[in-house]
Amino acid sequence: MTAPICELRGVQKHFPGSRGKDIRVLEDINLKVLQDEILCILGPNGSGKSTLLRLIAGLTPPTNGEVRYHRNKLVGLNPGVAMVFQDFALYPWMTVEENVRVVLRARDLPEEELRERAHQAISKVGLEGFEEAFPRELSRGFKQRVGVARALAVDPEVLVMDEPFSQVDALTAEALRAELLDIWQDAERNPNSIVVVSHSIREAVLMSDRIVILSGNPAHIRTIIQNPLPRPRSSRAPEFLKLVDRVHDIITSAELPDVEVTAPIPSKVPEAIEPLPHAASPDILGLLEFLEAQGGSCDLFQVAAQTHVPFETVLTTVKAAEMLDFVETPKRSLTFSPIGLRFMAGDMDKRKDIWRAQLLQLRLFRVVREMLQLREGELSKEELLHEITLRLPMEDAEETFETLVAWGRFGELFAYREEMEVLTFE
Amino acid sequence: MINQFLNNAWGQASNLFSAPIRRRRWVDLLVVAALAGIVMGLVLVAREWTVLQRPVVEINLSPWALPKYAILSFARAAVAFVISAAFTLVVAYWAARDPLAERFLIPILDTLQSVPLLAFMPVILLAMMSLFRSSNVGIELSAVIIIVTCQAWNMAFSFYQSLKTVPKELDEVSRGFGMNWSQRLRWVELPYATPGLVWNSMVSVANGWFFLMAAEAFKLGSRDFRLPGLGAYMSVAVDQGNVRAQVYAIVAMLTLVILLDQLIWKPVVAWSQRFQMDDAVKVEKRRSWLLRLLRRSEIWMRVRRAVTNLVPKRQPRPLAPSDISEEHTAFQRVLGGTMLILVLLALAFGGVKLVAVMAGVSSHEWLRLLQAGGASMARVLTSTFLATCWTLPVGLWIGLSPTWSRRLQPYVQVVASFPASILFVALIVALQRVGVNLFSSSILLMTISTQWYLLFNIIAGAQAVPMNLREAAKAYRFGLWKTSWKLYFPAIFPFLVTGWVTATGGAWNASIITEIVQFRGQTYTTFGLGAIVTQAADEGNIPLLAAAAILMALLVVLFNRLVWAPLYRLAETRYSVNR
Repeated sequence: MTAPICELRGVQKHFPGSRGKDIRVLEDINLKVLQDEILCILGPNGSGKSTLLRLIAGLTPPTNGEVRYHRNKLVGLNPGVAMVFQDFALYPWMTVEENVRVVLRARDLPEEELRERAHQAISKVGLEGFEEAFPRELSRGFKQRVGVARALAVDPEVLVMDEPFSQVDALTAEALRAELLDIWQDAERNPNSIVVVSHSIREAVLMSDRIVILSGNPAHIRTIIQNPLPRPRSSRAPEFLKLVDRVHDIITSAELPDVEVTAPIPSKVPEAIEPLPHAASPDILGLLEFLEAQGGSCDLFQVAAQTHVPFETVLTTVKAAEMLDFVETPKRSLTFSPIGLRFMAGDMDKRKDIWRAQLLQLRLFRVVREMLQLREGELSKEELLHEITLRLPMEDAEETFETLVAWGRFGELFAYREEMEVLTFE
Repeated sequence: MINQFLNNAWGQASNLFSAPIRRRRWVDLLVVAALAGIVMGLVLVAREWTVLQRPVVEINLSPWALPKYAILSFARAAVAFVISAAFTLVVAYWAARDPLAERFLIPILDTLQSVPLLAFMPVILLAMMSLFRSSNVGIELSAVIIIVTCQAWNMAFSFYQSLKTVPKELDEVSRGFGMNWSQRLRWVELPYATPGLVWNSMVSVANGWFFLMAAEAFKLGSRDFRLPGLGAYMSVAVDQGNVRAQVYAIVAMLTLVILLDQLIWKPVVAWSQRFQMDDAVKVEKRRSWLLRLLRRSEIWMRVRRAVTNLVPKRQPRPLAPSDISEEHTAFQRVLGGTMLILVLLALAFGGVKLVAVMAGVSSHEWLRLLQAGGASMARVLTSTFLATCWTLPVGLWIGLSPTWSRRLQPYVQVVASFPASILFVALIVALQRVGVNLFSSSILLMTISTQWYLLFNIIAGAQAVPMNLREAAKAYRFGLWKTSWKLYFPAIFPFLVTGWVTATGGAWNASIITEIVQFRGQTYTTFGLGAIVTQAADEGNIPLLAAAAILMALLVVLFNRLVWAPLYRLAETRYSVNR
C-alpha cells in the first residue's frame, strides 16, 4: 500500500465557547486520506464534519494532535488541498473567469500560465462561454461548477468538498456527481483523491470508496465502512440498496441505541441532566401526526423518504419524541408508546397537559421550574444560560435554551419575554 | 493616430480584453476635456494657497467669477474627502485587525461621529491661524480639517463594519487559496465594503458642503476668516444686499450639486452595484448615463487597463502564510500596541490640558452655560418635531407609491445634498425684515437643514413595508387611519429613529451658525450654546469656549445614550419587520 496523502493523528478540536468554556467539537480523530480514493464523511448536523474538512485543508489548526501532509506536519495551509464550499462562496463582484483567476493570482503565476490554467479548469467543468458572466446570473448548479473549476485550477492533490451538492436541486446534483467522478477517474491528473462531507447516505454510497461515520458529542469516528461496489454504480442495484441500509443501520444505532439511555424516570445521579435534542415542537407534533397516518408504526427511513426531511433531522426529532416518551424505537422502526397514543387521542388542551407532564419528567425542566420559583417567577436568560453551561458543558447553551423555551412555551410551563430576556410563569 | 500609438504601446494584449461594444470617439474628447478641467482647477487652487493673507477677502460679485469660486470650493471639498478616505482605510483596517485597538478606537469613533463638531471650528481656526501667521494656508487648512472631522467617522465606521462582516466562506476562500493580506484587502475586503463606503461617502460629502459653506463664510467679530469660494460669495452678496448675486450663488451651488450627482455619484453608485452581495434586498437597478458612456469610451478603457497592468509584479511568496494561524507576530503586536499607546497618550494629554483650561470657568458661568444648553436643546428638539410633522405623511406617501418614489427620489436627493448653510444669513436677514426674531428663525433654519434626513429615512422605511402586510390590512378593511397606526408607523419606526438621531445631530451643528449672525457689522444673537461658543471665540475667552464646546458634546452624547439608544433597542426588537 502506498503512503497516505494526508493523515490526522489523535486530532482534537476545541472552540472557545460562551462564558470562557471550550466547546469540544472533535475528539481523538485518526484518519488517513489515501491515494486515489473518494472518502465520504457522514454524521449528524453539528457533528464537526465541516470542521474536520477545515482541519485537512489547514484552514484551522487542531487543538491537539497533528495533521500531516506527505509525512510532514502541517503548519498553516495544506499546499495539496483545494476546497469547494457548500454555499459556493463565489465573489459576486468578479466574473466567472476572474473568480477562477483570482486564486491563481494569489500563487503569483505568470500571466501566460494563469490564463492557460483558468481556461482549462473552466472548460473541464463545461463553463466555456460563461467566462464573462457574473455569479448572480448563474443557476445554483452552474455556480457550484465555478466553485469546482476554481478548486481544480490550483491543481490540488486532494479536493475537499463541504456538502457540495446540498444547495442544488436533485437533478443537477446527479449531473454534478457524475461529472465529478469523470474528472476524478482521469488517473493522469489531479485531484488524486477527494474528501466529501455529505448529508445524504445515497450520495456517500454512490461516490465513495470509504465512508467515515462521525457520531457523539464531541464527535469521534464511530466506524469506517469500505465500499467495494464496482463503478459505475447503479442506485437501484440490490447490492447498492443493501449498503445504503447498512449505513442507515449504523447511523441509527449510533444515534438511537436500543439500550435506553435517555431515562424519563428521575435519574439516580442527581447532577446528571439529559441534553435536549434540538428539535422544534411543531416538528415533533408533525412526526406524531405522520406516524398516526401511517397506522401507528413505520420504518425510520420511510419517514425521511416520504417527508423529504433530511435523515439527520428525522433522527433528532425521533430522539426528542422518544425522550418525551411519545414513541418507541425498537430496532429501526417507530411506534407509539401508550402515552403517545393518549396524546394523539386528546384535544389541544389535553395534549398540552400531557406535554407539560412529560416535560416535567425531564430533569432540566424541573430545574428550570425550581429556579423560577426561587426567583419568584422571574428568571433571566443570563442566569439560566449560566446554569445550562454548568450542567451541560458539552452542549451549546444558546441552542439548548432555545429548545427549552420552545418546548416549555408549548406546554405552557412558562412564558418567555424576548425583549426583557426573562422567563416568567405562564 | 492616437489609437495607433496606444496600440503600439500596449500591444496585442489589449485586444484580448476588448469588449464587444462599439466605442465612440467623441466620448474620448469629453474625457480629455474633463481631465483638462481638473488640471486647471489644481493650478488655480495652488496659486490661491500661496497668496498672502489679506485683511478682508476680496470677492468679485460678477457672475463670471462664479466658476472660479465653484472650483475653489470644490477643490477644498475634494481634498478633504481624499484625506477622509485615507483616514478611513487606515484606521478602520487597523481597528478591524487589532483587537486591542478595536476596544479603544471603536468607542472613540462612535462618540466622534455623534458630536457636533462645528462647535470646534473656532478652536481649530484659532489654532491654525497661530501656526500659519503669514498666509491663507491656516484658514484653508482649518476649513479642510473641519470638513474632514465631519466626514471621516461614519465612513470609517462603515468600512470597519464591512471588514468585520465579510461572509465567513468568502474569507475562507481567500485564506484557503493562500491570498496574503494585501490581496485579501484588494480583492475581497474592499470590494465587499464598496456599497457601504459609497453610500457613506455620499452622505459625508453632502455633510462636507454644509460645513464648507459655513467655514467659507466664517467671521469672528471684527476678524474676517472668509475664504474665496461660493460660501464667501454668498456672504458678501448678503452684506451688500445684492439680491441678484445671491441668486447667482444659489444657482451656482445648485448646479455644482447637480453636476456632482450626475458626473460622480450616479456613475459611482451604478458601478458599485456589482459589489452588492447576491442575496441583498432587491433594489431597483440604478443606471447612469455617464457610466454607460464611459464604458464605451476607448481611452477610458485603455487608461483603466493600463492602471491594472501597472501593478508591480512581486516575488513569489512562500506557501503557508503566517497570518493563517490568526496569530499576530510579536513585531506586529508591539507595533500596534505602541501606536495605540501614542494615540491614547495624545488624547489623555489633550484631556488634561482641556480640564486645566476649563478650571478658569466660574460656577456662575457654568450655570449660564447649562441654561444655554437647555435653550439650544429645546430648539433642536422643536425643529426635529416640526420636520417630523411634515415629512411623516409626505415620506409615507412617496415611499408607499412606487411610481412617485421613482419620480421624486432623484429630485429629493439633489435638493437634500444642497447645503442649507449657504442660505442661512440671507434667510435670517429676510425673516428679520418680516419681524421674525432670531429665536424662531434659528429653529426654522435647523428644520430646513435637517428635514431631509428624516424624509429619506421615512421613504426608505415606507418602501420596506412588506407587501403581504399591506395586502392583509386591505383585506381586513383596516381603513387609512387604522392602517397607519397599526402597520405603517410601527413598520417605519426603526427608520424613524435613525432619522431622528441624524436629524438632531445635524440640528446641533446648525445651532452653532444660526444662533449668532453677523450682518453689515451688526451682530444678532439669541440665547444658546452655539452663540456662546462663537462669542467666546471672538472675545478670546478660551476657557469659556472650551467649556461650551465640551458641554455641547456631552449633552449630545448623553441624549444619545439615554434617549436614542433605548429607542433603537426597542425598534430593533419589537418593530423590526424582517426578523
